[in-house]
Amino acid sequence: MSLLEVDGIEVRYGAIKALKGVSFEVNEGEIVALLGANGAGKTTTQKTVSGMLRPSLGEIRYDGKRIDGTPAHELISLGICHVPEGRHVFPRMTVNENLEMGAFRFKRPDDKLQAHVLDLFPRLRERIKQQAGTLSGGEQQMLAIGRALMGKPRLLLLDEPSMGLAPLIVKQIFDIVREINNDGVTVLLVEQNASQALALANRGYVLETGEIVLTGTGRELLADDRVRAAYLGEEIAS
Amino acid sequence: MKTGFFSSPHVKRLAGCMALAFVLALMIGNQEGSQDDYGLAFRQAIFSPRIILFIVIGLLVFAAMTFWPYITPYLLRPGVRPLAVGGITVLVSQTLLKWSDDGRTGNGKFNSVASKAANTDGLAPMAKLFFSNYLGWILLLVTFGLGAAAILISLRALAWVAAVLGVVGGIWAYTSQAAVRDFLGTPDHSTGGGVALIGYLTLAAAALATALATGDIADTRAFVNRLLAWRPGMPLVVLGLIVGVIAFVQATWFSPQGSNQTLTDTKTFFQGNGLANLAYQYLAWLGYVLFIATLLTAAAASYLRHRILGWVAAGLGAVALLLSLITMYDMTDLAAAAGVDGATGPWQNLGSGAWMACAAFFVLAGAGLVVATLGARDEQGELAPAEAPAARSSDTLSRGFSAPGSSKVFLFVILATALFYPPTATGFWQKVLVSEIGIYVLLAIGLNVVVGWAGLLDLGFIAFYAIGSYTTAYLTGALPFKPPSFLHLSPLLAIPFAIAICLLAGVALGAPTLRLRGDYLAIVTLGFGEIIRITANNNPGNITNGPKGAFGIPHPRIELGPIKFVWGQNNLQYWYLLLVLIVIVVLLFRRLEASRLGRAWAAIREDEVAAQATGINTTRVKLLAFAIGASTSGVAGVFFASQIGYINPENFVLNNSILVVAYVVFGGMGSLPGAMAGAAVLTWLPEFLKDQVPAEDRQMWIGAVVLLMMIFRPAGLIPAKRRAAELRGLNRSSSAEVGAVPEGEGMGVRA
Repeated sequence: MSLLEVDGIEVRYGAIKALKGVSFEVNEGEIVALLGANGAGKTTTQKTVSGMLRPSLGEIRYDGKRIDGTPAHELISLGICHVPEGRHVFPRMTVNENLEMGAFRFKRPDDKLQAHVLDLFPRLRERIKQQAGTLSGGEQQMLAIGRALMGKPRLLLLDEPSMGLAPLIVKQIFDIVREINNDGVTVLLVEQNASQALALANRGYVLETGEIVLTGTGRELLADDRVRAAYLGEEIAS
Repeated sequence: MKTGFFSSPHVKRLAGCMALAFVLALMIGNQEGSQDDYGLAFRQAIFSPRIILFIVIGLLVFAAMTFWPYITPYLLRPGVRPLAVGGITVLVSQTLLKWSDDGRTGNGKFNSVASKAANTDGLAPMAKLFFSNYLGWILLLVTFGLGAAAILISLRALAWVAAVLGVVGGIWAYTSQAAVRDFLGTPDHSTGGGVALIGYLTLAAAALATALATGDIADTRAFVNRLLAWRPGMPLVVLGLIVGVIAFVQATWFSPQGSNQTLTDTKTFFQGNGLANLAYQYLAWLGYVLFIATLLTAAAASYLRHRILGWVAAGLGAVALLLSLITMYDMTDLAAAAGVDGATGPWQNLGSGAWMACAAFFVLAGAGLVVATLGARDEQGELAPAEAPAARSSDTLSRGFSAPGSSKVFLFVILATALFYPPTATGFWQKVLVSEIGIYVLLAIGLNVVVGWAGLLDLGFIAFYAIGSYTTAYLTGALPFKPPSFLHLSPLLAIPFAIAICLLAGVALGAPTLRLRGDYLAIVTLGFGEIIRITANNNPGNITNGPKGAFGIPHPRIELGPIKFVWGQNNLQYWYLLLVLIVIVVLLFRRLEASRLGRAWAAIREDEVAAQATGINTTRVKLLAFAIGASTSGVAGVFFASQIGYINPENFVLNNSILVVAYVVFGGMGSLPGAMAGAAVLTWLPEFLKDQVPAEDRQMWIGAVVLLMMIFRPAGLIPAKRRAAELRGLNRSSSAEVGAVPEGEGMGVRA
């Protein structure tokens, strides 16, 4: 049975319909990538899953139970942790305080888990007492992911972790995402960086103006002409 | 060519300095024009020597700004800041503060007292000398000049001379004022001599720092830290020594009509008058013995870092404090009963000496406690503060006083002042302390939760104060609309109800406005404040009695079996009640700040989306901020209503809301001590300025102070760690957060 089932959700911003019946599923232990151009509805989809938005139609089931409309702070206690787009660290808190905030749902932060997170991101250990606002973009992204991990996620929602980062850092971050996945965390990844995301993902969905137009395994999509044309900037050979 | 000349930064700066000198010359000094001659004040300002003085100051400022890079190395030398602070303090005492309250000395300021004292026969010769021939000014100039010269040319011998002069000058100034007071023989609350003493001692400390300096550069804060870390509690012991010596040797203990009696005088006065034996023995010898014993124990405990001795000192101090209070009660009670001329009752006619003795015992007991409660872990921590500055990276933010026990030292000094200064103040200041400073401190603490911690701008905060006041009026049956008479409550019992109603009102305001942020929220809260006031004014259903307000709200009273206390007209009684309320609220809020809820507030203030993503229920947390902030002002409302006994809607105008916001911002948003200090300073300042500047100019001076503050210390008086960082622009790199506009932003349309 799949961990997350999204079944025909529609989301509106006022009169504008951002999602027009999106359905997909994420199985336990997978990395699933949602691809799409700007405005395709990737972030909206993810925000709906994480409880920040409410679908006007359709159902979201997590572990067999309906979760659409459940507020974000309750979903976190079910193990759905969200790394929002644009990093959103607490700029005036130290790295350590940021990580502790990630474990807010627990009475006290898990020291072992924190040590593990800092092993994943050695850069954060170096800057543990520094204010998050003084970190570089890549370090902030690492911190945002680390903070989400402190909430002991079963399903990690990553929204454009590569946004505005140098290719080398993107590679580092994607390696870490794979490592996190190897620890048993299911990942739903929203990305524009199609080649990197699909190389990492087990399966992928391509969104276009609020609808899913293409689906397949990472390899299949990477090989697909339409994907190559739209996201990798290659001429279709024909 | 010409434009080049005028756009030169030096020319602009010079023009700016001259313009400011001109404005200041107009601002300071006699402003009285007359009906016939509107230009009089202007001409007085321009054609008097005054303007030359200001132009010279302007030129000095210009020179200082222009040659700043050459000056800064000198400013970093040890002792510069205390020298400046000490110099300014003495200057203030000799220009702004009163040296005598007696009408025979003119306006009571230093120059006026000096000119009278210099020509008075029979005044103690040393005091006469101090006041004659501008000796007070010369002493200040010489001490300051020697200290400055010692710093400039790094001459230690000179610094030692300045230090000695500082101590001598301070004692001389203080005793001279005391001599004048004794000579005049009237009750006196003036603070000039005391402040001059503090200023001169600061000068001496500056000179001492120069004399003992080992490095070329001194971080004052590091120096103070080292001082505090050297022997925890020692600053308190020194303070206790100074205050105690003044109290037991020189200050007035008892002042019925026409006499100022020191401790020995008081003993003679009560000899054989049937004073209770314990009290008499205290006056005769027990007081001195207790003081010396407590002082020595506290000093020994502090020096040896001996915890048991610390407890002993604390105990001794507490017993001595109790005995002092008993003695003070006994003698004033007896004096009133015996009909001594001008003695009006227990606790009346006490001079500052008795209260200073109490303060000394309190501070010494505090020193004992500081030593006693220092854990063994602080033994290792001893070296940390001295070494720390080098190793700090981001810790430039938290450059507090980190020495062990230092926060307790400050706490005890503040508590001693809050407990024992008010009884020695004049009636005017007691009133200000209660009805301005105390109440606004309480309100600022409450607003700090909303504005400072949760980051929600609330411009209608006074509405909750009004709700608290009107709740009290209702529950005590002072409104036309009454509860059944058996339910009429004493005001203190109304506190929980007022808190509950303000909590509800906070939620009622919060719930519909939660999706608004920033400016939008501010406007809605502003409207809420006005709605409450106008409703009270319009008197729907004859509930609030309209603009006439509620009369006859009873004063607070406590009746618990044998314990019975009724508050009356005396402001001092209300001050102690208020102090208890403030202490309780502060203790609770300190816990709150460190709690999960406090962290959640910090998180939503920093970044709401991230807060949501980490599992914070932002709605609930914001509502709680509104409700908890409101509950504090409910307490303030109860206090206000029952103290004044009469409220009307005019007490709760918008202006007051804005003032409270200003106090919190001035003090340091998000910092509990900051908000309290901000409220205290900004409520004290206008009253203080009453004596110093013409009434019409008062707001201008307050504006100038606030302006200077915002330029030179934008994070507030005592900034919160995070807020300070924010204004220092450390977060510029995180502007990525603007990139994604979160849902609920602006008018808060949520899909």
